[in-house]
Amino acid sequence: MTNNLPAVSVKGLHKSFGSHEVLKGIDLAAHDGDVISLIGASGSGKSTLLRCIPMLEIPNSGSISVGEAHITPRDGKLSRADERTARAIRRDLGFVFQNFNLWPHRTVLQNVVEAPMIVQRRNKAECRDEAMALLEKVGLSDKADAWPNQLSGGQQQRVAIARALAQKPRALLFDEPTSALDPELVGEVLKVMRDLADEGRTMIIVTHEMGFAREVSSRTIFLHQGLVEEDGTPEQVFGNAHSERCRAFLSGYFDRA
Amino acid sequence: MTSELYLLGFGPEGWGPVLARAGLMTLAVSLSAFLLGTVLGTLTVWGRVSGNPVTRRIAETYVVVLRGIPDLLVIFLFYFGGRQVVSLVGTALGFEGPFDISGFVAGMLAIGLISGAGQSEVLRGAYQAVPKGTLEAGRVVGMSRWQLFRRVTAPQAMVTAIPGMGNQWQSVIKESALVSVTGLVETMRQVSIAAGTTQEHFLFYTAAAVIYLIITTLSDQVFRMLERRSMAGYAGGSH
Amino acid sequence: MDTVYLLDLFKKLLGGLPLTLNLAVFALLGGFAIALLLNLLRTTRIGNAVAGTYIFFFRGTPLLVQLFMIYFGLAQFEFVRSSFLWPLLREPYWCGLIALMLNDAAYTAEILRGGLRAVPRGAQEAARVSGMSRLQILRRVTLPIAVRQALPAYSNEIISMLKSTALVSMISLMDVTGIAREAVAETWRAVEIFLCAGLIYLVLSLIITRATSWAERALSPWQFGARQ
Repeated sequence: MTNNLPAVSVKGLHKSFGSHEVLKGIDLAAHDGDVISLIGASGSGKSTLLRCIPMLEIPNSGSISVGEAHITPRDGKLSRADERTARAIRRDLGFVFQNFNLWPHRTVLQNVVEAPMIVQRRNKAECRDEAMALLEKVGLSDKADAWPNQLSGGQQQRVAIARALAQKPRALLFDEPTSALDPELVGEVLKVMRDLADEGRTMIIVTHEMGFAREVSSRTIFLHQGLVEEDGTPEQVFGNAHSERCRAFLSGYFDRA
Repeated sequence: MTSELYLLGFGPEGWGPVLARAGLMTLAVSLSAFLLGTVLGTLTVWGRVSGNPVTRRIAETYVVVLRGIPDLLVIFLFYFGGRQVVSLVGTALGFEGPFDISGFVAGMLAIGLISGAGQSEVLRGAYQAVPKGTLEAGRVVGMSRWQLFRRVTAPQAMVTAIPGMGNQWQSVIKESALVSVTGLVETMRQVSIAAGTTQEHFLFYTAAAVIYLIITTLSDQVFRMLERRSMAGYAGGSH
Repeated sequence: MDTVYLLDLFKKLLGGLPLTLNLAVFALLGGFAIALLLNLLRTTRIGNAVAGTYIFFFRGTPLLVQLFMIYFGLAQFEFVRSSFLWPLLREPYWCGLIALMLNDAAYTAEILRGGLRAVPRGAQEAARVSGMSRLQILRRVTLPIAVRQALPAYSNEIISMLKSTALVSMISLMDVTGIAREAVAETWRAVEIFLCAGLIYLVLSLIITRATSWAERALSPWQFGARQ
């Protein structure tokens, strides 16, 4: 792995749903160890941007690279070769959804070992040991044999993070990981994420938790109507943003808090 | 086969008029069986939810038994068994045989009984889906049990029950073909007669399929319309 | 009603049980395979129209009509009688089995479709994002969830198929119902005979109900909160 090549790189990304253009040309590069927060009003395109990286949404134009894998879809379609590249990209990324999306028919442990065992075809006992270590790390080793529907939202999301980590990803993507949680459960998930950032993991986080973004991220990007409106260190963006819209958006948040 | 299509027409050699009449007979026997089923189904739900252990037991047994026995056997039982019972009673009363029971009555009773078990499941589901709060609201304003049922429970349950009742009606139409074993001249029986007479089996059984498809498709439309109408006032309905 | 007569009757009726079970089992197996095929067809536009028409026809007409179309209807064509299928289509057993199978496929296809619809999109997305191939997603996530969601409806279909096998007695086959009809023709003790036959089916369907509700629990412990 060369260090000057970004872990995740997005260039000239356009994405439309029907006639509605959600992303109007986005560039973004995350180097190893970066923790990038994507903020912005709902409808600004931040979730769509994040979902484009593992090709959950297929961009209309632009390119995505993760490590050496590079993909340039045309007209929102993937060729057969692109499809293979997309799978390679997905193997290299960990994705955490807003609604956890644990597999309901598998236990907590089975959720965590699934990808390494089935996709990466690694040794079963080894996957198991690693999965147990990851569950320990997110504080859920005692729930290894529980079913997802027996867990609270916060616990499910911590399992989902362990599941993402089990892929040994180059970067972790979080799509509003605390938005579906009851307020009292948000803290436990943010704590796990903060630990990951401290370990030097590469993370891209779409979030509404402004305090967390300010404290934890190394870079903050404010999106507005499908374009990057502000991009800088958290001190810059939260303390001294160039963009009027960004300042207005943030003051709306901090006044309420 | 195309050259024999005149057999289905309304000309001098055509079977059209008798087939049409047979189609109406299918509708008649289905409709009476379905209504009987609705009465039995409602009684069954009442028996299950009334809280009386004896009626609950009877209602549950009725449903389990009728869902476990082939429809054809139930019809045979009513037709041949009915004849047996009528003969027994007739002879005991001093009448001279032979005794018979009409295919229509036997078929209606048998299919009504089968459908009643199915309808009770639909109706029970609909009854349980009525929000308990609306019942309490009725009780608070002083409604009697009968008023509660008529003004609060039934109207709400009917809306939820419509799609399920539509399925039950479709089943009844298809089951009605089995009544042909009693000799009642409904669609299936008439078609068998025509097929035997003309030796055009495929043509006439296809005609039967078309007649049933017409009836089931039209009924489906009616139930969809009912569903749309009844949804007015609920979320997604007008205003 | 004497016990000796009833015991004899039961023994006689049970002679039809192998045929009844044989028809039910093979119709369900074949029907399930065709139903899977119908759902695969649904992914293309023409295939969707074909599957839709098939299901519309078989669910919209009585099984008896379908059975007679195959048994009486097909035999009338010279090209059927001279085809390689004739050795099959001339046998009431195969006609009965084919009719039951085709009929079951239409209902099972709809049950499966309902199960597939009930698979949460998020679960499939999570599989995609972990790098699984289409086939892996189908095998590891979509089908297991769909099959388990469809199980309650499918257990009704199993019972319904068992009951439907009685129709083959209309084309001279000697299943439980066929034997009962023959016995009635000989003795005219319709009530006893048909009740006894009914009892056999009833016991079978109770066994099926037990077995499928056990299977539901065993296969989807997550819905019942059980631990492995």
